[in-house]
Amino acid sequence: MSDLAAQPETLERLLRFWFPPAEQLSISAQAVNHYYGEGDARKQVLFDNRLDVGAGEIVIMTGPSGSGKTTLLTLLGTLRRVQEGSLKVLGTELNGLEQHQIIALRKRIGFIFQAHNLFESLTATQNVRMATELLGIPPVDAEPRIEAILRRLGLGQRLHYKPKSLSGGQKQRVAIARGIVHQPQLILADEPTAALDAESGREVVTIFKELAKRDGCTIIIVTHDNRILDVADRIVNMVDGKIKSNVLVQKTALLCQILQQYPLFRELSPAVLANVADKMNLQRYSPGSEIVRQGEPGTDFFVIAQGEVEVLASGKLVNRLETGSYFGEVSLLTEQPRNATVQAVGEVACFSLNKEDFQEVVATSGSFEEQLRQALFERQ
Amino acid sequence: MVASVSLAWKNLTHDRRKLALALAGVAFAVLLMFQQRGFNHALFDSTVELVRRLDADLLVFNRARFALTSELRFPKEILERLASEPGVGSVRPLYLENKLATAHRAGLPARPIRVVGLDLTTLPFQDAAGEVNAGLAALQRPDTALLDRLSKDYYGFDLRVARRGEVQSAELSGRQVQIAGLFSLGCDFAHEGNLVMSSENFAKYFRYRAADPLSVVDLGLVKLEAGADRELVLNGLRERLPQSVELMTREEFEQREINFWARSTPIGIIFAIGAGIGFAVGVIICYQILATDIADHYRELATLMAMGYGKPFFFKLVLQQAWWLAILGYLPGLALSWLLFQLNASWTGLLMQLTWERALTILVLTLVMCSLSALLAIRKLLAADPASLF
Repeated sequence: MSDLAAQPETLERLLRFWFPPAEQLSISAQAVNHYYGEGDARKQVLFDNRLDVGAGEIVIMTGPSGSGKTTLLTLLGTLRRVQEGSLKVLGTELNGLEQHQIIALRKRIGFIFQAHNLFESLTATQNVRMATELLGIPPVDAEPRIEAILRRLGLGQRLHYKPKSLSGGQKQRVAIARGIVHQPQLILADEPTAALDAESGREVVTIFKELAKRDGCTIIIVTHDNRILDVADRIVNMVDGKIKSNVLVQKTALLCQILQQYPLFRELSPAVLANVADKMNLQRYSPGSEIVRQGEPGTDFFVIAQGEVEVLASGKLVNRLETGSYFGEVSLLTEQPRNATVQAVGEVACFSLNKEDFQEVVATSGSFEEQLRQALFERQ
Repeated sequence: MVASVSLAWKNLTHDRRKLALALAGVAFAVLLMFQQRGFNHALFDSTVELVRRLDADLLVFNRARFALTSELRFPKEILERLASEPGVGSVRPLYLENKLATAHRAGLPARPIRVVGLDLTTLPFQDAAGEVNAGLAALQRPDTALLDRLSKDYYGFDLRVARRGEVQSAELSGRQVQIAGLFSLGCDFAHEGNLVMSSENFAKYFRYRAADPLSVVDLGLVKLEAGADRELVLNGLRERLPQSVELMTREEFEQREINFWARSTPIGIIFAIGAGIGFAVGVIICYQILATDIADHYRELATLMAMGYGKPFFFKLVLQQAWWLAILGYLPGLALSWLLFQLNASWTGLLMQLTWERALTILVLTLVMCSLSALLAIRKLLAADPASLF
């Protein structure tokens, strides 16, 4: 199973997205409601929104105008007060936050607005410096950083130009530089690439990726720009004040990469593999917990993603299984109760496929069934 | 925070045309305040200028004389008796005639003029340029006077003739008078011109003052002996003086005169209101400038708020802009005021003095004015909602 070691990073990433540890959650929204107006004019604009985003994730929020995504963005940015529910940003509960705490939190966030909002009286460098001076970054450190970011964004020849002498796209890039120069832990961007041509849009996206990967910066982008959808780790779609779908974009791709390493899935066609991966869930078990219990009806098929399990038949240890091994298929294939108990030895993570999906995959892929039956036969 | 300093300055100076308009507004308010305060001071300075020029430590005057313009006099014996009191060096009389003294040149209507009668042997009056002292020889001649060159020109005196040193004749209270030279004293709100002459000549022109015209004195000028304690002598003399006269230091008398104009006439209040209006106009102008600037930079300032800039930063920002406006607007205001003071002085004969102290007072007033505007305008800024940016 040495080839499995080739993918620990991929698995790590997958696990991180799937189970972001509470302390690494950049955003955790629970039952967030929001209302505009007072009295009779009071209108609910956000309905029971729940969202967890891990550090270093790039989230793209989409949805028609008026769907509440902007409201949610302003709540995340502490620009509006949380009215109902719990909203944690960078480990701080926003509901009931004091003004001085809000100010402190805002300094850890980078804002990129749809309009550039640059001071006409300041040069590109001076506008960006407003962000570093606020954080008290000494000029010795700040100045090279400002220049490097502006150069990176293609403004090396425009460092000391005032906005009047810059094009729309150049102004937007200065605004982006101002939003990221202080190395925020969370970036909230509203249509950051709308004013940019394909090339600079791509450069901005590349920088976002770097910030997310290298610094673990979480980035929330509200956009309709299809060109940058591929950068997203998660796409959140909002409709009528509710998060309608919350998809980990790269889950399927990452899962396929991992499953391919396992003997059971090696022979599957890419289409079938993707189908399996798409339907799989990732679950975690604490040491000693029972994943399946002897005598109970089978509900899921498991592939071990990480860790080790013991198989016990009538209390007697009959086998140990490691990463890449699978179990639970027998009772699904034979429609009989579980013939053994499977217990987690240490921390265990398993991919699981429920019975219906399992049977559907088996029915559509002859080779998969053959593989399973072959293995079943060998085991007996 | 260095940022606020440069940002305030840069925002203010970015648009030169807007800056020029703003500074013109502030300068206008500064000018208004300077003019009102200037006239106010001019009134006071001018009314007490004569007193300031007197060579005296203490002044004796009729207790009922509420101001220099009220021509209540006291007997000369009272003054002469003081000469032998301990601590007193010398006493001299000063004669003034105002309401009944009229002057004009041939062909022009007679106008009231203030005539100062001086004892030439001890000359108790020193004008700024010493011209009276220089003209002593001329003043000894009968029916001769020196003319205040700041007198209103409707008397018809020809200053060019006088400047050439030629004598011109005019009429003073129905009698010919020879104008032998010039000196400077200045008009005030009650006096439109001045003449000085010897007390002997003075007696000839104003016989109606008394059987002996020089037996009644307007101001008694007391000089102390060298080394005498002024307070001590003052208190000693007061005890021995009759109830009908009052004794004061020259400075006290000046203040009393100023207080009369400031409190007993509406003039002080009128100018205070004038200056107040200038101040209020300034507050409104400056508020408009700052509020417009905040409105123009609404999105940028709201962005700074979103970034985490707090209230103290915005207070500093707006206050600094206000102070720059104050200082930059004050300078042209000061220059214009100085020019206008010169013009005013030559038009009215008033003493328009622009002292450092008064210029500094207006600067402080301007700073206060702009700070008030800043505090009014900042409410607009603090109400900015960064949530509106998304």
